[in-house]
Amino acid sequence: MKADVHHYDLAENFVFSDKARKSIFIILALGIVFFVIGLVMVTMGGGHEGHDHALAGNGDFITTAGGEGGHDHGHAYHWTSRLKVTLWHNSLFFLGIAVIGIFFTAIQYAAHAGWSALIKRVPEAFGSFVPYAGVVLLAVFFWGGHEIFHWTDASLYDPKSEHYDEIMVGKQGFLNTGVFLTLTVLFIGGWFAFWYAIRNNSKAEDVEGGTKRFWRMKVLATLFIIFFAVSSSVSAWLWVMSIDSHWFSTMFGWYNFASYFVAGLATITLAVIYLHEAGYLKALNENHLHDLGKFVFAFSIFWSYIWFSQFLLIYYANISEETVYFWERLRSPIYGKFVFINLFLNFVFPFLSLMTRDAKRKTIILKIVCYAVIVGHWIDFWLMITPGTLKENGGLGFLEIGLAMIYAAAFAFVVANALTKAPLIARNHPMMQESLHHNI
Amino acid sequence: MQIVSEVREPLVIGGKTIKDVTNDISRPIEAAPPRDWFAAMFVSVLLLGTGGYFLGDMLWNGIGRWGLNKTVQWAWDITNFVWWVGIGHAGTLISAVLLLFRQKWRTSINRAAEAMTIFAVICAAFWPVVHMGRPWLVYWPLPLPNTYGSLWVNFNSPLLWDVFAISTYFSVSLVFWYIGLIPDFATIRDRATTKWPKLMYGLLSFGWTGGARTWMHYESVSLILAGLSTPLVLSVHTIVSFDFATSVIPGWHTTIFPPYFVAGAIFSGFAMVLTLMLVTRKVYRLESYITMEHIEMMNIIIIVTGSIVGIAYTTEFFIAWYSGVEYEQYAFINRATGPYWWSYWAMMTCNVISPQLFWFKPIRTSLVWTFVLSIVVNIGMWFERFVIIVTSLHRDYLPSSWAYFTPTMWDIMCYAFTFGLFFTLFFMFAKFFPVINMAEVKAVLKESSSKNYRARRTITEEPLPPLTVPVVEEKTAH
Amino acid sequence: MEKNKHFLVGIFGDQDDLLHGVEHIRHAGVKIHEAYTPFPVHGLEHALGYTRSWMPRAAFVFGFLGICSAITMQTWMMGIDWPMIIGGKSYVAVPDFVPVSFEMTVLFAAFGMVGTFLVTNDLKPYGVPRIFDIRSTDDKHVVAIDLANNTLSEEQIAQVLKEAHVEEYYRKDFTDEENEGGFWKYVVDLFTNGVTRSSRIANHR
Repeated sequence: MKADVHHYDLAENFVFSDKARKSIFIILALGIVFFVIGLVMVTMGGGHEGHDHALAGNGDFITTAGGEGGHDHGHAYHWTSRLKVTLWHNSLFFLGIAVIGIFFTAIQYAAHAGWSALIKRVPEAFGSFVPYAGVVLLAVFFWGGHEIFHWTDASLYDPKSEHYDEIMVGKQGFLNTGVFLTLTVLFIGGWFAFWYAIRNNSKAEDVEGGTKRFWRMKVLATLFIIFFAVSSSVSAWLWVMSIDSHWFSTMFGWYNFASYFVAGLATITLAVIYLHEAGYLKALNENHLHDLGKFVFAFSIFWSYIWFSQFLLIYYANISEETVYFWERLRSPIYGKFVFINLFLNFVFPFLSLMTRDAKRKTIILKIVCYAVIVGHWIDFWLMITPGTLKENGGLGFLEIGLAMIYAAAFAFVVANALTKAPLIARNHPMMQESLHHNI
Repeated sequence: MQIVSEVREPLVIGGKTIKDVTNDISRPIEAAPPRDWFAAMFVSVLLLGTGGYFLGDMLWNGIGRWGLNKTVQWAWDITNFVWWVGIGHAGTLISAVLLLFRQKWRTSINRAAEAMTIFAVICAAFWPVVHMGRPWLVYWPLPLPNTYGSLWVNFNSPLLWDVFAISTYFSVSLVFWYIGLIPDFATIRDRATTKWPKLMYGLLSFGWTGGARTWMHYESVSLILAGLSTPLVLSVHTIVSFDFATSVIPGWHTTIFPPYFVAGAIFSGFAMVLTLMLVTRKVYRLESYITMEHIEMMNIIIIVTGSIVGIAYTTEFFIAWYSGVEYEQYAFINRATGPYWWSYWAMMTCNVISPQLFWFKPIRTSLVWTFVLSIVVNIGMWFERFVIIVTSLHRDYLPSSWAYFTPTMWDIMCYAFTFGLFFTLFFMFAKFFPVINMAEVKAVLKESSSKNYRARRTITEEPLPPLTVPVVEEKTAH
Repeated sequence: MEKNKHFLVGIFGDQDDLLHGVEHIRHAGVKIHEAYTPFPVHGLEHALGYTRSWMPRAAFVFGFLGICSAITMQTWMMGIDWPMIIGGKSYVAVPDFVPVSFEMTVLFAAFGMVGTFLVTNDLKPYGVPRIFDIRSTDDKHVVAIDLANNTLSEEQIAQVLKEAHVEEYYRKDFTDEENEGGFWKYVVDLFTNGVTRSSRIANHR
């Protein structure tokens, strides 16, 4: 062999160093401090933050997307509502990122992608967060489902009640606690089961070698993609769209998926960069970063496409039952500006900053963009969940940011732990040599 | 260093050399066409002529020749428009999206697929133009100053967006296709031994020499055209879907339409590519270039897009129920059980159920099954558009306006005309243009022509080797 | 522009040999006029020391021009010159203008960039190429070395080419007529003298 051929040491094992633990605990501590400050603020201020009844001031409401007008009926606002909603929001968001880790691994196999073999243990480890986020999600539903989901109100279905709602009666076949719990458990359990199988198969490949595990992985990946294709849409209707229980959009499932996917890709990119900077993944070169950057760039545009298509069709047809969703957000003093922040962070910023080839190959630019995009999609989900639940009492303050940091620290901790459980490089992956010598 | 994993199948089989590629692809262009070609051409021109007669008659007497009525104002014409435009998506998808995703198997099929795209878009653009009734006023949708003062075209109308989308798509695809053809034309020019081919291919090849600097810019241009064409190809069918979805017609106004139309377009486009490629492969004996691997890959894309379309159908149906809007609910029940139930079930069978057969490896690697199913998918996709357009329109909000649409001879024969046009153009292409992109196949030949030779050295950022080291590497596998 | 006439031409049969050969030739201090290949060779521009293509910048500039024209045109026509209320929206209904703006961006970027590419690379229907070896569009890679542009002697360069493991090399001289050949001359020539290939090429086939 020639002298210019690189030989990489593939025997890398991730050690969860004290330094890494310390960084994670600092984020956690900061998050807890923010969270406590936020809690104090919402308990003292009632969460109004100076926007008292601002939304209700828009008297030209016909109805709200959540059902009837926010004030005459429904649950009185209590500060715990805000806590419940932000718990729901963060659990969903980080659950999504974890599942995207599995999905990304699966599409690499289904599409016979070679370049990603080197980094495949990183998205694979993301799946370990699924059970944690899933359990919290279920717990939050049991604790706060009534405040999050208008449809859990039994009086809606009682013909004698003044709250009787014919439309909600029509939806009862889908929007009821039984279906909700069954499907939630099925989806989260299914994702976890697939992750477990993929992970074990992947670990077995390290020991056995050969291509048998690769082909078995391809089958698993295909099955997971089929399962995910259905579960991602249905879960989005159930967990997010049903918050605005009168409102509907056929695009919504794919819109949620697009948002998750970009956030997940950005997280994978960040994790890879940090591992590389900590001295792992030595064979990683800027061509791999270029590919990750292209993914973030391309799917940011994809998300924008989906967002815009959904918005334009509703805006253009101008049917009040549908436009109310955007009306509630755009015309609100609380949420209005975030619609534009959302578009800026998730479309304009990644589009302009990752356009050139050089930008996709530089870690510093990738880091900035990935953080921006993750924050952007977190805001995107906040915008889907909060207006329908908290109405004019919603807000984005210390409480939400603190909890997001706590979740981020937990996610990093669980994923880092999962990374230690298997060699960092799947050395027997049949595509490994392709990936090591990846050059574009 | 470029290394190809052992789990990949070779893309070119039969131990072809670079010289063989040139010979195999150029020969049909240089030789007299086979008798089959004349027969096929005859049928196409006959279709074009007969259809053309009915088309002329329709234009002379007016749109009333078609079966349209007051309620169903769009039927076969727009169905055919959307169908052809959908077919016209695969070529650009193969060359652009698969180029960006570095799917090297595209190299053998992209040329013919792009040609097909362009001809399909011509057939598609034909429909709105003749539907105008006065096609000589085709320039009216352009933003031109006119005799009505400065009354401009309406930029708020999805139909105008369509004008921009289709014309941009057509011209950019044409340019993309042509840029790819230039190096191959130069190859044919340099092989030509008679005056006329030397002159014609000389003109077509734009004086191409294959200099490294030109190739460098050429590759950059191709990549950026691919990058531009990817959102473009999505935008075209998105805007076609806006034609329907911006309205307030039940069954049309649904937000999933844009991505769902795009998936459907790719689905039908790949089916049409398969139909044509299987025939071309047979006639030109291209089995070494369009291998079973290629066919299987395309079939897998058909399963994926077919399933996406299936999910979209289900989503629409579910959300129609979930929405609680009785008009939406009626529109969907009426599709499945109303007077046009047969078209709905034809669509479901052909689009959702039949492609699932490709999950079985023996079926997706069978030429006969692939050929039959590719045609079935295209029938299904035609019915999909028919279902969306006619079934949604024929039940007006006003029950006294309810109607039924039956096609006339003119509907059918104008459709036949577009087939004649499409196949005439395609056979002309297959005779005079290289049906496989020679330059691209040559570029992937070395690392993917056999299972043994898997690694080759390319320049990386490494320093140059000292002069004393022999620079030619042994040609064995690493 | 005066074109040089005297070249040394090296032929490579394999793309990897070409890459190594080009590295070697440049390392030996020989300036390469240009390499001609039947297909794009990955890494060749790097081996030849070319700076990266600037076509992306052309595309960006034209695309920017496209989106600006589209926004100006639509805003002016719909909002200023003949405002009309359509569908209850404002005169300048920004979301409605997105599709056309996007299409025009792509249209301008694609056509502008391809036009730039054709012009700067002198590609035109009536272009008559100066061909060093006709096999460069078939299966051989051709490296042309301009003798007037190098300080080394012809023999020294030939030696370098041999060390670079060329399959063959030969001297190629263009006449003034060949260098200045215009399109009409080419056509007239084609139809009066018939199709001829240069004797050099005939020898090597």
